[in-house]
Amino acid sequence: MTHFTRRDVFKISAGGVAVASGMVAMPSILRAATYPSRPINVIVPFATGGYNDRLSRAFIPYLEQELGQPLVIVNKPGAGTQLGNSYALNQPADGYSILCTSAAPYIPLTVLLQNAPYKIEDFSMINLPSRDYTLAATSSGGPVKTFAEVIDKLKKDPTSLSIGVQPASADYANMVLAFQAAGIDASKLRIVTYDGGGPARNATAGAQVDVGFVGGEGFLPLKSKVRPLAIFAAEKVDWYPDAPLIGATLKTDFVEGSQRGWAVSTKLKNEQPEIFKIIVAAVEKASKNPKAIEALKLQELATTWYGPDASNKAYLDNAAKMAKYVDLLK
Amino acid sequence: MIDVSAFNEALGIMFSSVGSWGWIVPGLIVGLVFSAIPGISITMAMAIVLPMSLYMDFFSAIVFLTSVYTGAGFGGSVPAILMNIPGSPSSFATTFDGYAMSQKGEHNEALGYALFASTLCGIAGYVLLLLVIEPLADIVLRIGPVEMFAVAIWGMMLLGSLGSTYISRGLLAAALGILLGTVGMNTAGFTRGTLGLPVLLDGIAPIPAMIGLLAASQLLSLASRDYIIEAEGSREVSLRKILKGCWGTLKYPGVLLRGSIIGIIIGAVPGVGSSIGNLIAYAETKRTAKDSATFGKGNPKGVIAAESAVASGEGGSMATMLALGIPGGGATAILIAAFMMHNIVPGPSFIETQKPMVYAIILNNIVQAIVLLAVGIGFIYVASNIMKVRTRYVLPAILVIATLGTFAVTGEAAGPITLFVFALLGYALNRYQYPVSAVVVGILLGRMLETEFLRSYQLSGGNPLYVLERPGAMAIFAVMFISLGMTAWGKRKQNRAEAAEALALRQIQEETRAAHTTPSKG
Repeated sequence: MTHFTRRDVFKISAGGVAVASGMVAMPSILRAATYPSRPINVIVPFATGGYNDRLSRAFIPYLEQELGQPLVIVNKPGAGTQLGNSYALNQPADGYSILCTSAAPYIPLTVLLQNAPYKIEDFSMINLPSRDYTLAATSSGGPVKTFAEVIDKLKKDPTSLSIGVQPASADYANMVLAFQAAGIDASKLRIVTYDGGGPARNATAGAQVDVGFVGGEGFLPLKSKVRPLAIFAAEKVDWYPDAPLIGATLKTDFVEGSQRGWAVSTKLKNEQPEIFKIIVAAVEKASKNPKAIEALKLQELATTWYGPDASNKAYLDNAAKMAKYVDLLK
Repeated sequence: MIDVSAFNEALGIMFSSVGSWGWIVPGLIVGLVFSAIPGISITMAMAIVLPMSLYMDFFSAIVFLTSVYTGAGFGGSVPAILMNIPGSPSSFATTFDGYAMSQKGEHNEALGYALFASTLCGIAGYVLLLLVIEPLADIVLRIGPVEMFAVAIWGMMLLGSLGSTYISRGLLAAALGILLGTVGMNTAGFTRGTLGLPVLLDGIAPIPAMIGLLAASQLLSLASRDYIIEAEGSREVSLRKILKGCWGTLKYPGVLLRGSIIGIIIGAVPGVGSSIGNLIAYAETKRTAKDSATFGKGNPKGVIAAESAVASGEGGSMATMLALGIPGGGATAILIAAFMMHNIVPGPSFIETQKPMVYAIILNNIVQAIVLLAVGIGFIYVASNIMKVRTRYVLPAILVIATLGTFAVTGEAAGPITLFVFALLGYALNRYQYPVSAVVVGILLGRMLETEFLRSYQLSGGNPLYVLERPGAMAIFAVMFISLGMTAWGKRKQNRAEAAEALALRQIQEETRAAHTTPSKG
């Protein structure tokens, strides 16, 4: 695990020196007392226009009110959030860098499948308001009506229906788990892979594939073009009430699709607990601000306040489940 | 078809929000300037101005952003024509004949042709969009991997018309390009050729790679000259000649129409973007032209074909975005974000409930295209003055700007490093007479070829007869083969005619020689 290149050593020691000099110049309590004294960067590991980008842009006016300093969005897209996440961890742990990211599934995925140079525990959640779930859907004009029908057909002939899914994703794991539970031979299925949720949704809506397994939220603008067959959630999803729960058809384990929201480095939480508290309090107040709730709702963005403990638990549970089923993802 | 009452309401929206019209000219200028800088793409230009539009009201924001989009659609052709360096991938095909024209001292005309083709076909694209937005959207969703693979193959056919001294080196260069295009994680989740670098997981960034390949060779060859055009008399900037080019575009309605149709359809397909339409339109125009031998040597039809596909592609892309909420390319993804930031979610329900707004947006785009005519003439008049500057000042400036442009995308050194590596590769390819443009085509199309082929394979379960279930794909292949066959037939006839002519000429020569020599014998 601990093989450092010379560059890593340089980075760590340089970062260490920077932090150390900061600490020498200003004791922790004093730093917290003056925090925040300059603009704060919000690191979004996606390109402009994605969900996290929109969430951060819509939310920061309200967060600025609480923190009393301007927030600046820094988009660092690439390598399934790995570039942005690494960038965020390389910033000094002084509270002037906050992440707005899709913690699940991307942080576990980059760690498990891409050998990302960080650990799941290196990130601490503040609040993960947006939760997305895998939705199995078909084109609205398609012949398949229910998920039970899908299982029946595939049991008789695994090649009878084509399946669209993004490889190495929570959706893929859910698909394999469901078919395993139903006793379908997954190796014979006609699985068509898409490099993103968007293309997989288009293929489903356009009947390119018979059944698509994709994050459900993105289907909302295309709602009239698809028929939901099963949503991989434990309870009824308030933004897609007409989607039948997977539990109604099949008893299977599943992974939560996406958990998106606000996070910081664990280093900050441990070394600067006062600053961490200030950030948590500000996000909580902004999330509960009725104006923020109204503004974000209009853009179909989530503001639900779960808090750092519940969010962190959800994140770690998801990561543990992903690790458990990592072989399904490869 | 068009909904008349909604159309009237749309006119109402247009004229009641006259204030938003003020954003057209600034938007166009921003788009023109950014896209004329090599290394900054349309997507980037829009990403830069997106946060600004948050502070405008909805219609103004959309007018501003779509104006940037319209301006950027043309701006890339300015450096393509003047310096053989495309401002963005969508103006790659413009370099083939545009630069050749400017080397002949016809840069004014070439820019005029490009501008007029761009605005005319932009308007045509939007008018068509106004009529068929809903049916078009449904057709687009039905286009599957097999059809897309056919389109990608069609794009590859361009290689045949690029022309190089050695066929083997051309093929090798194309293969290298395709291999480079497939670096990164593919659609099935396999990672190839990343050298362990996380930045390469998403593949080689096409814009810095393209600029590196093309600009390096171009700048090195320019460095030996004093000015971009050597003949002193040709370096003039003439409004009269620009207008002559504009007017001349109207002489080629067939080229404009073909380019527009190809552009609209390809632009409307999600995920393809405008960088392929121009290649196909150019290749098709060259193949069907009677004077195909003069393509690449400064034939205005080449410029018109490429530009018409780029401009009309914008309309197609906009159709998919409005009707389905699906981005056709990077630029429309930004537009969707802008809509959502103003609490509007494009898609089927948006088109049903807010038809007047949809029409108003389309109408405004038509207005923008008309305004672009005037703004564009001014822009190319100013930009052409680069011809009068010594290369020793121009070249370092371009290199610095291009490097900054590639750095600006993510603020990472990855962009400039890609630029540098590909500049070296471009130099080596040129040195050993491998066609650089074949590598570029490979990079632009390699990813799409692989992805769509793989998906077709997955979907069919490996059964090649699956293509028979896809009439669309069969039609594309059929059109492609018929057009190829007809070209081959035409070429054969032409060759025969030429051979016969040469034979007749030789006979005449021999006869005259015989006539001259016979008397001396006696």
